[in-house]
Amino acid sequence: MSNQQSENPQQMAQHGDTDANAGGNASVEGDSDRQSALTGDALELSYPTSEGPVVECDRIDIPRGEITALVGPNGSGKSTLLKSLAKQLSPDSGSVYLDGKSISEYDDKAFARELGMLSQQHDSPTSLTVEDLVYHGRYPHRSFFEQVNEDDHEAVERAIDLAGVDHIRDKQIGNLSGGQSQLAWIAMVLAQDTDVLLLDEPTTYLDLHHQLRVLETVRQLNEERGVTVAVVLHDIAQAARFADYLVAMQDGELYDWGPPREVVTEELLADVFRVEAAVNYSPDPEIVPKHSL
Amino acid sequence: MSGTTPTEQSSGSALTRLFGWIDGSLLSLCLASLVVVVAGGLVQVSFGAFSMTIGEAWRAVFDPAVIFDPHVWQVFLLGGELPELGRQTLIVWNIRLPRVFVAILVGANLAISGAIFQAVTRNELASPFILGVSSGAGLLILLTLVVFSGLAAYLPLLAALGGMFAFVLVYLIAWKNGTSPVRLVLAGVIVGTVFQSLQTGLFFFVDDIGVVQSAIAWTTGSLTGTDWEQVRMALPWSIIAVALALGSSRQLNVLLLGEQTARSLGMSIEKVRFALSGVAVLAAAASIAVAGIVGFVGLVVPHLVRNVVGSDYKRLVVGCLFAGPALMVAADVGARLALNPIQLPVGVVTGLVGGPYFLYLMRKQQNIGEV
Repeated sequence: MSNQQSENPQQMAQHGDTDANAGGNASVEGDSDRQSALTGDALELSYPTSEGPVVECDRIDIPRGEITALVGPNGSGKSTLLKSLAKQLSPDSGSVYLDGKSISEYDDKAFARELGMLSQQHDSPTSLTVEDLVYHGRYPHRSFFEQVNEDDHEAVERAIDLAGVDHIRDKQIGNLSGGQSQLAWIAMVLAQDTDVLLLDEPTTYLDLHHQLRVLETVRQLNEERGVTVAVVLHDIAQAARFADYLVAMQDGELYDWGPPREVVTEELLADVFRVEAAVNYSPDPEIVPKHSL
Repeated sequence: MSGTTPTEQSSGSALTRLFGWIDGSLLSLCLASLVVVVAGGLVQVSFGAFSMTIGEAWRAVFDPAVIFDPHVWQVFLLGGELPELGRQTLIVWNIRLPRVFVAILVGANLAISGAIFQAVTRNELASPFILGVSSGAGLLILLTLVVFSGLAAYLPLLAALGGMFAFVLVYLIAWKNGTSPVRLVLAGVIVGTVFQSLQTGLFFFVDDIGVVQSAIAWTTGSLTGTDWEQVRMALPWSIIAVALALGSSRQLNVLLLGEQTARSLGMSIEKVRFALSGVAVLAAAASIAVAGIVGFVGLVVPHLVRNVVGSDYKRLVVGCLFAGPALMVAADVGARLALNPIQLPVGVVTGLVGGPYFLYLMRKQQNIGEV
C-alpha cells in the first residue's frame, strides 16, 4: 500500500483528507475516483431469467489498497454485484470503472491482468494437479501459442508459496479436501498477479482452520503487495474482524458502508440480517447473536 | 528438488515444463497403438483377392524402388503417372497401403474432433457429429446421389460442405447473446432430427439398389476403394487440423475449468469456442470427404485415451493421434476381410467394436460422464 501511495502523492493527500473526515460514508461519496480502484455507477443488474432488476446500486466504491467485505443475507445481491464488477455480468444500465476507465473498454485478457475473480463454484477435471491448476492462472499473461516463461514460473512459485500449497502441488484436485482445494484455487487466482482481487464466498463450507488460512493469505497479499480486495463473506462477525471496510446489502440495494465499527450495529443486524444481537466494541465490533427476528 | 540450487531448480523445471507432460502412460498408449496399426497394416497388405505370403508382402512394402524414389512419392502425394513397378509392389503400394493410410488419417481426425467437442460442450458423450455435422453431410450425400446425380464426382466435397453448413446452422440457432454448451447440443439435436428425416425421406425416391448401397456406404462410413487420391484429399486438412488441435491444448484445458473461470482468466469464450468447434468440424469434414460418416470412433477413442492418460488435453490430443488410427485400422481389417470377398462398410465394424467397449467402460467406471 505504501508502494501505491508513494507513486502518487496527490492521491495520498486526498486519502489523508477523507481519513481526517472520519466519516465512512463521506469517503465514498463525491469525487473519489482516484482512490477507488473499482467503482460502480448507477448499476442496474438482472439475469435473463429474473423479473426486473436484482440489484440497483447508485454508487459503489472499492477503495484502493484496502480489503472490502460485502455482507448481507442470502439473496441480497452480493454475488450478483461482484459478478458485474468482474465483467462477468453486463449491467442493464450504468457502468463499472476500473482505475477510472470503463471495464467495457478493456480487452478480455488485459482486464484479466488487472482484476482476478474467484467464483463461488468452480469445477475442474479431477485428475488435474494443483501445480497445473495454478499455471492456468497465467492464462491472461500468455499469448495463444506462447510457452511458459520465467515470469510465469516465478509468479506460480510465489502464488503456491503464499497460499501454502507447496506440499500438495503434485496432488490431483480430485483427491483434496474442500479446504485444500479452495487454497489451490486461491493460488491459481494469485498467480494471475492482479492489482484487484474479487472473491465470492471463499470461506463458505470450509472448516475453521481453512477459513482462517484463506483469510490470512488474502490479508498477507493485501499488506505485502498492496492488492485491493473485495470479498463476499457470509459471516458478518468474520467480516467485521477481517475487513477494513464493509458494504452491507439488503434486497439488492446498498444498506450501509464504511469501516466495520461504524457499519456493524445492533440496528443493522436487526434490519438487514433479521437477528437480535448485542454488539460490543472493544474496539472492534464483536457480535453476540441472541435470536432471529 | 530441495537439495538443488535455485538456478538448477528453475532450469530443471523449465525442461520439465517442456517435456514433462510426456509420461509413461502416454508413451505406452502410443506404442501399443503403433503396434496395432503396424500389425493391422501388415494383415491388410498381405491378404486379399491377390494373395501373397507375409514375407512377400513385407518385401513389397520395403521395396527400395518405392521407398527411395522421390518421384514415386511425388506421384503418390501430388498425382501423376506411376513408373514401372513390380506387380506385388504395385498391389501393395497402390491399392492396399493407401487404404491403411486413409484409415490412419480418418481415425486421427475423428478422434481429435471428438476430443475437442467433448471439451467445447463439456460433455463426455459428445462426438464429432454432435453439432449436426453428420446429418448435414448425410443429407447432401443423399441429395447428390438421388437428385443431383450429375454432381456425383464432387460427392466428397459436397458431403464435407454439407457437414460444415449444418454446423453453421446449429450455431445460428443456438446463438442468443452468446451460446452455451447446452444450447449448442440442443440446436444440434434439432438440426440433426430434421436433416435425418429429410435424408430418410429421400431413400423413397431411389429405385436403383446400387444407389442405395452407395448411399449406405457413405452414410455409415466405408473405406472400400480408397486409394492415394483420398490420401491427397485428406492429408493437407488433417495436418492443419492436427496442428491447430495441438496448439489449442491449453485453451481446451482452460475450458475444462468451467465457463466462469475461463472468462475470469480473460478468455474470450465465444470466440475460442467457435474457433475450436471450427477446428473440430474441419477434422470431421476431412474424414467425411474420404470415408463417409464413420460413427463411434470420435466418441470412444477420446474416452479410452482419457482413461489412460488423464484429462490433460496436450496428452489427450497426442494420445488420440495414435489411438484413433489404431481403432480405425483394426476395424478396417474386420470390414475388409471378415466376410471376404464381401466388404462391409467400416462404420458397421466400428459400431460393433465401439458399442460393447463403451458398455464395458460404463460398467467398470463409477464416475463416467465427468470430462
